[in-house]
Amino acid sequence: MSVPVLEVRGLGVRLRTEAGLADILDDVALTVPRGGTVGVVGESGCGKSTLLRAILGILPRGAEPPRGAILFEGRDILADGAASARGRIGFVPQDPYLSLNPVFRAGDQILEIMRRHAKGPRAGHRARILDLFRAVQLPDPEAALRKYPHQFSGGQRQRLLIAAALACEPSLVVADEPTTALDVTTQREILALLRGLVAERGLSLLFVTHDFGVLANVCEEVAVLYAGRVIEAGPTREVLDAPRHPYTRMLLACHPDRATDLLGIPGTVPAATAQPSGCRFHPRCPIIRSGCPVEPPALVTLPDGHRVACPWHADPLPEVADG
Amino acid sequence: MAEILGCSALRVELGARRGLLRHRAGVRAVDGVDLSIAEGETFGIVGESGCGKTTLARALLGLQRESAGEIRLEGRRVSGLDPRAARRVREAVQYVHQDPGAALDPWWRVGATLAEGLAIHGVTARAEQQARIAETLAAVGLDPALADRYPHELSGGQQRRIGLARILLLRPKVVILDEPTAGLDLSVQAAVLRLLRDLRARFGLTYVFISHDLSVVRRVCDRVAVMYLGQVVEEGTAAALFAAPRHPYTRALLAAAPHLDGRESGPSLPGDPPSLAAVPPGCRFHPRCAEAREPCAHTVPVREAAGPDHAVACLRWREVA
Repeated sequence: MSVPVLEVRGLGVRLRTEAGLADILDDVALTVPRGGTVGVVGESGCGKSTLLRAILGILPRGAEPPRGAILFEGRDILADGAASARGRIGFVPQDPYLSLNPVFRAGDQILEIMRRHAKGPRAGHRARILDLFRAVQLPDPEAALRKYPHQFSGGQRQRLLIAAALACEPSLVVADEPTTALDVTTQREILALLRGLVAERGLSLLFVTHDFGVLANVCEEVAVLYAGRVIEAGPTREVLDAPRHPYTRMLLACHPDRATDLLGIPGTVPAATAQPSGCRFHPRCPIIRSGCPVEPPALVTLPDGHRVACPWHADPLPEVADG
Repeated sequence: MAEILGCSALRVELGARRGLLRHRAGVRAVDGVDLSIAEGETFGIVGESGCGKTTLARALLGLQRESAGEIRLEGRRVSGLDPRAARRVREAVQYVHQDPGAALDPWWRVGATLAEGLAIHGVTARAEQQARIAETLAAVGLDPALADRYPHELSGGQQRRIGLARILLLRPKVVILDEPTAGLDLSVQAAVLRLLRDLRARFGLTYVFISHDLSVVRRVCDRVAVMYLGQVVEEGTAAALFAAPRHPYTRALLAAAPHLDGRESGPSLPGDPPSLAAVPPGCRFHPRCAEAREPCAHTVPVREAAGPDHAVACLRWREVA
């Protein structure tokens, strides 16, 4: 088997804050196979964005040097002097309204990225930008070169940002909730575009989202984060159809498509400065018992390829009375 | 059930200028909307950004002056008044802001913000204010001690609850909820929706529920209106509308919503909605409609009954069905 495009091993990120040392990511492992689409899903504060920032090398000030390893194309980009290897990771940000510079023309913004990354003569850049604009299906690519960001609609701006992510000829694209700010009709088109680009260009995709519907639409594999740890992972269909971890089961039961009643999950996600000992979900868990591990449980692989960090994954959740 | 809030042929023009020498036509953000919202129901309004959902809500609320048409509240005509009077007669209608965090003053303790609303509505006795605030905070599932906190000390879900408490204090009959679950996590969203349902029963409220999240609308609304470019293109019970959508726009909107099972249903809707400044002739949806035929480009569709409590404005809904 070929080397995976991205392999995250034992990644830990801690951040010094006013409230103390925040334990944001702990022992996170994740693999994006070549040509694969992997989703990272979780609620606010679970560490999704920090994971992306660690991969992109843009952790906020105050972060301790990350523990573990992030292998991109087989090379550890956390090691000294390897940061430039990140050049072939494309990034699609969340908010198309905030992520473009309003005073530069669209073509120039892409050109700037190309100049930084691409080899080859400058004369070729313009033709390549036009190719990219066609690839992301921007209407009238010639005119788009000279337009300013405000002259594009939200969906078109997101296409522009996808073109920008492709400008460095990436082998891996990481996307941070790229459709959250869009209408469902536009979202559907952008997701279809991303799927198409992944298939045509042989890209690999790491896709962060909080929306299980979007996840089901785009990703073959998924990792569920809770309080900075991966608590469940596996093929998307497996995880969505037969979730095993009590957190994933309760979270999916909150989805309006599936909910029998709108229950929510009691309690709140713990603060990163005060992570619970042992299993980080235990204070909210309905099936907690004395046999729960004292150490944070590791992912265990089940026969169907599904990985889960809970020894009681086969036990039913208690029925919650409606009241 | 009796109508509590309604409008007929409502039109709202935005951006119009009538100077001495210069006239500038505005855009019709709401153009000929008829609604009748029954007491005690949850009435959903859905549509893409810019379809006029929020403008319609502001007109119903009396914050945005209507250009033509009639608005009725509890059987009385409340339109055609100057802004102050318009708001005063509509005290029974209150609005929950889309981003309740942004609607709270960061320098004020939550309790002070809550008391201000009461003072404006004539409850000035401090003891009564405190009692009502404590009671309402408990009703939305918050510890009354939270009144001493500042907004930044609250989580997103708590801010939502404060936003609700703020208007419940004023004992409204109709509450307009503008994207009440936008930006909330799934588990918090479920808790907020449940709270809304409980409050509706407890205080006998009627909700106007503006949202673009169709899964949520399907879940909580009794009736739904679908808006496109300032007009209602389809309206009906949530059950009928989601089970058998008649308008091609409604179908496309429903098809676009991602589902847990990953299925893609129906064709996608290409392009963005056209600008209100250049409304297409005939059926406003025809340039994006896969079912459009020649007459759609010049004949304006009228509302027709497509079933009991189900109406659609499409020339071809019978053929499309």
